[in-house]
Amino acid sequence: MEQYYTAGTVMALLQTDYVTPITKQVLEERMAYAGGDPLFFDAPAFEVLSIVCDLLVAQDSQNRSVNIASFIDQRLKENTSDGWRYNNMPPDKEMYVNGLKGIDETSILLFKVPFIQLSKDQQLELLKSLQKGTAEGAVWKEMPSKRFFEELLAEVTEIFYSHPSVQEEMGYVGMADAKGWTRIGLNERDGIEPEALPYNETIKRNAPLFK
Amino acid sequence: MHRYSSNETVDAVVIGTGAGGAPLLARLAEAGLKVVALEAGKHWNPKADFATDEREQSKLFWRFERLSAGEDPVHFGRNNSGIGVGGSTLHYTAYTPRPLPNGFHLYAEFGVGINWPIDYYNLEPYFDELENFLGISGPSPYPWGPPRKSKYPLPPLPLNAPAQLMQRGCEKMGIKTSPAANAALSASYYQENVGWRKACTNRGFCQAGCSTGAKASMDVTYIPLAVHFGAEIRPDCFATEFERSSQGNITAVVYKKNGQEEKQLCKNVFLCAGAVETPRLLLMNNMANSSGQVGKNFMANVGLQVWGEFEEEVRPNKGIPGALISEDMRRPKNVDFASGYLLQSIGVMPVTYASQLARAGGFWGEELRKKLRAFNHVAGINMHGECLPNENNYLELSNELDEMGLPKPRIYFTAGENEKKMSAHGDKIMREIWSEAGAENLMSYQRKAHTIGTCRMGSSGDTAVVDSAGRSFDVANLYICDNSVFPSTLAVNPALTIMALSLRTADLFLSQKS
Repeated sequence: MEQYYTAGTVMALLQTDYVTPITKQVLEERMAYAGGDPLFFDAPAFEVLSIVCDLLVAQDSQNRSVNIASFIDQRLKENTSDGWRYNNMPPDKEMYVNGLKGIDETSILLFKVPFIQLSKDQQLELLKSLQKGTAEGAVWKEMPSKRFFEELLAEVTEIFYSHPSVQEEMGYVGMADAKGWTRIGLNERDGIEPEALPYNETIKRNAPLFK
Repeated sequence: MHRYSSNETVDAVVIGTGAGGAPLLARLAEAGLKVVALEAGKHWNPKADFATDEREQSKLFWRFERLSAGEDPVHFGRNNSGIGVGGSTLHYTAYTPRPLPNGFHLYAEFGVGINWPIDYYNLEPYFDELENFLGISGPSPYPWGPPRKSKYPLPPLPLNAPAQLMQRGCEKMGIKTSPAANAALSASYYQENVGWRKACTNRGFCQAGCSTGAKASMDVTYIPLAVHFGAEIRPDCFATEFERSSQGNITAVVYKKNGQEEKQLCKNVFLCAGAVETPRLLLMNNMANSSGQVGKNFMANVGLQVWGEFEEEVRPNKGIPGALISEDMRRPKNVDFASGYLLQSIGVMPVTYASQLARAGGFWGEELRKKLRAFNHVAGINMHGECLPNENNYLELSNELDEMGLPKPRIYFTAGENEKKMSAHGDKIMREIWSEAGAENLMSYQRKAHTIGTCRMGSSGDTAVVDSAGRSFDVANLYICDNSVFPSTLAVNPALTIMALSLRTADLFLSQKS
């Protein structure tokens, strides 16, 4: 059921009065946020986190839509929470520091080199073992790798899909909130909602970003 | 807004401004009482402050960390706990189905769970009043439950695409559906002493805050009514302690405002902070717990969701999310579990859906991107079912402190056999409905909805925290009114019942005073 949409719809909408001032302000601030040097993580850990984040959403590290790791770094620096955590998991800061340490530890156990030196296939394989709970290493004896993976993936996904340039990829223009929607039934489309590209376009674009 | 001096002994301090606190605040103020409400969060101006953006709107969720334990740990925050004037009604989906009469007598009917010390007919006049005041949009006559004394004041909201799809699937299976009752306006509506609210624009962001005032959250309904009658609302005030007389009555509520400790002298306290913060505050102060029931029997409604992808365009972010309902499964036949559940169609916002794909589906990388490129073709059904009380599900104080310097609560929850069987039944039915409607790639999301229990009401102080009027058995001038007093969850979304209890508690308090 996947569909592709023409690029640029959200960016164009943000310049119109279809978007309320507060929504426009929030989204423009987010798009302008590029991140920078990490404030919470040390540089090596941040590098691992950045690669992991990109892999989790299949984002090209050389041409990022969203600097996901910076958003996580910023949150941990500000010490904010989403309101809960699993009782058998350490506090978020500790979870991230230990988890990233664990990724390198597993990498060395499996491949004899740190995570950043692995091939993309090896990195993906390692992440899969975290998700399955089969990853080896001392860290994962203390902290279940499955839960770490789940928590990390949830935060990464929420950050990535909060970005207007990524929402655009879904053909989503819900941020156009000033006038509301009148055509809300099945197969109904309001004028400013983008139409999906024809099926053959979908097939053509459906090549993975990388292997 | 009227302001009271903290040295003046007001008639009542109300802690919390959600569905439990706001209606009774207005009622007490209308009766001429001096009332002050303490709210831990901000007083927002939705039009100026609420963006149509999920990440930004996480400011409406309770973000002081809770520790989630047990075999089925509950996800707090976005899912079920609000902060700010209006409480969790700021982000409720506006579902307002009524409980059925038999829901209050579960033990009598099934020999499990517990009977409430009150029944449907004690609350019925309040349901009538609330539906009229809030401007509920819904069908009249309503297809399920006992005959109503009053019609819904507004016709139902329009069916969005997920609702139409659920209707299609249910029709093929012979399951009766109806447009749902929702606390969002299908037409402009006037409330005396509050003013006009405009019709819903189908923006679909109920769960991230309504920016138009169409949704009947407390901040646009009972809070302005309370202020009109002279109540004072104090935002950014986090209640932490109680001062008490030698007889044990509360004489003042101590709270923190911008890091400074302040207090308000008072004759009575209405604690309406929800099923986590209410017992937490009582346990921290070691009070109102001679029954040992404070924190016990934490419950969460069975809330499994099933998502499907459709050939047709759905664009699930538009319209009231829960537009269609079926109550045919309230007492399903030939099942091995007690009670039952509602079926509700659901639309969804993109980040919420993406997050579910990640957590429940375990999708990531290319697969995740592919799933989300189908967003405009996705629709969901939600089951909303009864959860039985279980003393092994409870809240305690942990040794870990939060940023306020207060112990973080730890909540144990493990679904019982009844919940598991009910959830499996709902999963099967919802999957059939979606298959009949033409869905592919179904995904079930194991979810628990709402926080309920922990300060149960009952007829004896040996086994309950409050009586049927919401009054503490131990502290004569303490009342509790929120989802914590529910002895069992009921099968319906709790907001309407909490509000009805709130008005009833206020009326009983006032009648006893006069």
